[in-house]
Amino acid sequence: MKKLYCFDKSLALFERAARVIPSGISGNKNPAFAVPGSFPYFAESGEGCRYRDVDGNVYIDYLAAFGPIVLGYKNPVVESAAAEQRRTGTTFNHPTERAVELAEKLVATISGMDWCAFGKNGSDVTAYAVQAAREHTQRRKIIKVRGAYHGSQSWCRHGIGGLIESDYEHVLDFSWNDATEAEDLLLEHEGDVACIIITPYHHPAFGDQVMPADGFLSDLQRLCKRHGVVLISDDIRAGFRLDLRGSHEYFDFEPDITCYCKAMANGYAISACLGTQDLKNAASKVFFTGTYYTSAPEQAAALACLAELERTDAVSHMMKMGRMLMEGLHTAAENNGLEVTLSGPPTLPFMTFANEDNFRRSQRFSGEAAKRGVLLHPHHNWFIMLEHGEADIQDTLDVADTCFRIIKKEFGS
Amino acid sequence: MISMTSQGRAFGIASPVLQWMGLDPSPSIHDRIRAGMHLFAVLPRLTDVVRHDEEGRRIADKMRVSIEFRVLNGPRVVLSFADGRIKTRSEGKSDLGLLFTSCAQLNNMFDGRKVLPIPFKGLHKAGELSRLTRLTEILTRYLKPSDTDMQSPRFRESHVEMSLLVGLSATQQIALQDPRAERIANHLPNGTIQYIILDGPACHVVLEDGLIEARSGTIADPTTTIEIQDIDLAVSLIKGEVDTFAANGSGAIKASGSLVLADEFNTLFDRVGHYLQ
Ligand SMILES: Cc1ncc(COP(=O)(O)O)c(C=O)c1O
Repeated sequence: MKKLYCFDKSLALFERAARVIPSGISGNKNPAFAVPGSFPYFAESGEGCRYRDVDGNVYIDYLAAFGPIVLGYKNPVVESAAAEQRRTGTTFNHPTERAVELAEKLVATISGMDWCAFGKNGSDVTAYAVQAAREHTQRRKIIKVRGAYHGSQSWCRHGIGGLIESDYEHVLDFSWNDATEAEDLLLEHEGDVACIIITPYHHPAFGDQVMPADGFLSDLQRLCKRHGVVLISDDIRAGFRLDLRGSHEYFDFEPDITCYCKAMANGYAISACLGTQDLKNAASKVFFTGTYYTSAPEQAAALACLAELERTDAVSHMMKMGRMLMEGLHTAAENNGLEVTLSGPPTLPFMTFANEDNFRRSQRFSGEAAKRGVLLHPHHNWFIMLEHGEADIQDTLDVADTCFRIIKKEFGS
Repeated sequence: MISMTSQGRAFGIASPVLQWMGLDPSPSIHDRIRAGMHLFAVLPRLTDVVRHDEEGRRIADKMRVSIEFRVLNGPRVVLSFADGRIKTRSEGKSDLGLLFTSCAQLNNMFDGRKVLPIPFKGLHKAGELSRLTRLTEILTRYLKPSDTDMQSPRFRESHVEMSLLVGLSATQQIALQDPRAERIANHLPNGTIQYIILDGPACHVVLEDGLIEARSGTIADPTTTIEIQDIDLAVSLIKGEVDTFAANGSGAIKASGSLVLADEFNTLFDRVGHYLQ
């Protein structure tokens, strides 16, 4: 039997980190959100679908840096495009031609969109999107889905730390798949709602993923039209893993604004907000900038990544691998007398144990899998990448079988 | 202009008049929250004084009375002493009553300043008040211990348990009254959280439909478990000195089970320090 991984260096480095960095590691990458002590804390390198932590443990990775790694770590095409661009410099006084090329490429690729602006992180562009909607409509309220994540800016940040009530005073929540509740909010705040922002399907942390019910997205689209409200599709997590033309093509609806980030440049820091012609003038009135928003190597990487996704028909392959993983996990669980729920599209799968809402078995499962070289987050959906092959999925299922056996022994069902 | 607050109107007296009488017609939210915490989170710990302290037990054994603490236009609580046990209720009859003219006056008393509440009934039982005073002195000793007291391992353990129970039950006032926590309190999940201090006591919290109750000891099958490495860490945690995310990462605190519940409840717990020292 292979020796189980240990995390001594991760822990030691974390002790150092905690002395000089608040929380040691901030936000959702803090170990508290995974399985502290049985999960890596610090990265060393990545290659293909494999990720190596500071302890030298190597994993088949289904976290993909929380989404960006869509082709695989160190993809040669993307790396050389970025390196080539870097030879000319990194950040300049002005954007380079790459900015225009990338905007043209995205407008041509994402259906229904006529313009494009760049940021660095997803939060930059979701904030920009709601501001463009407010400017366009001259209204205040933002309607979003309860439990949906749109980033870390004040209007949508989790918790209350550092926030004041007015930060979220104009943000209203409704339940996923409940267009009637959205309509009630629109009626209650008639004339004051600027936008409805949704993810194309519901992928909350700490829960099963939920696909749109029949007619839900088209109902929202109709409601937005009727009430003069902007419909924003936050495609930051699902983008380029369901359909290169945007997840709204996959689910068949027509948003006014779409946001991208994660899988856009295979790990390079860039995000994009796209919109329809109608909104272009309003978008131009929002002062949207950042020191690094124009840096070119990331834009070159994005151009190369998009071309590779097209050339390899990556989505089809990832769908196939994701299906193999989901079906395999289901069978392995069943063979061990356990019941699991696999949710979400095959390229962004997630698993929970039946009849459990405190995640204890998930935490144990993920911790045991990590110790055996497979990285599956207990509380956050997983990501398939192009580099995942059948052999990797089979290795994953072998490890999963062992972990299910442990769960069965410890928890009984 | 004479302004009339809703509290003022209840008396039919304008608020400047109430102020002139030394009464507080509209306590600040801060004072109200603190008063709630003093009555519903600190005072009920007298129960623990009886459990943990020999002298406390002897005093309580002699008491057979129910004492009401009432704040004018504010909260009230009744402590019933019988058979060496103490129960706290927020309604019902009492033998003896103490009226505080404002939340601030009640808070001053809990802060250790001299105040004179008005006895409003049961004067013939006033002798019980000196016993009560002694019990509260013992409670204060446990909640604000001297360095010498803290050298005794048993005392430290009692201190930690009582302080933790104060902090955990005080979250109820945060959930009910703190405008900054409203966003969390409105969607507080149901469940139970077990706190285990590895070389010390255990407590748990039960959250049900917005009500929060803290109790000592363990509970079966908690929704969330929080293991705290040792009493020293628990003491720092109570003082609000711990970076809990860092402590989670290092393994000094181990949270398992529903982290959503842990996170939401911890947000309330974190705010207690803004009101109670
Ligand atoms: C759907 C969605 N929107 C927005 C964001 C925020 O992106 P970032 O973390 O890059 O700011 C995320 C990140 O996880 C996301 O999944």
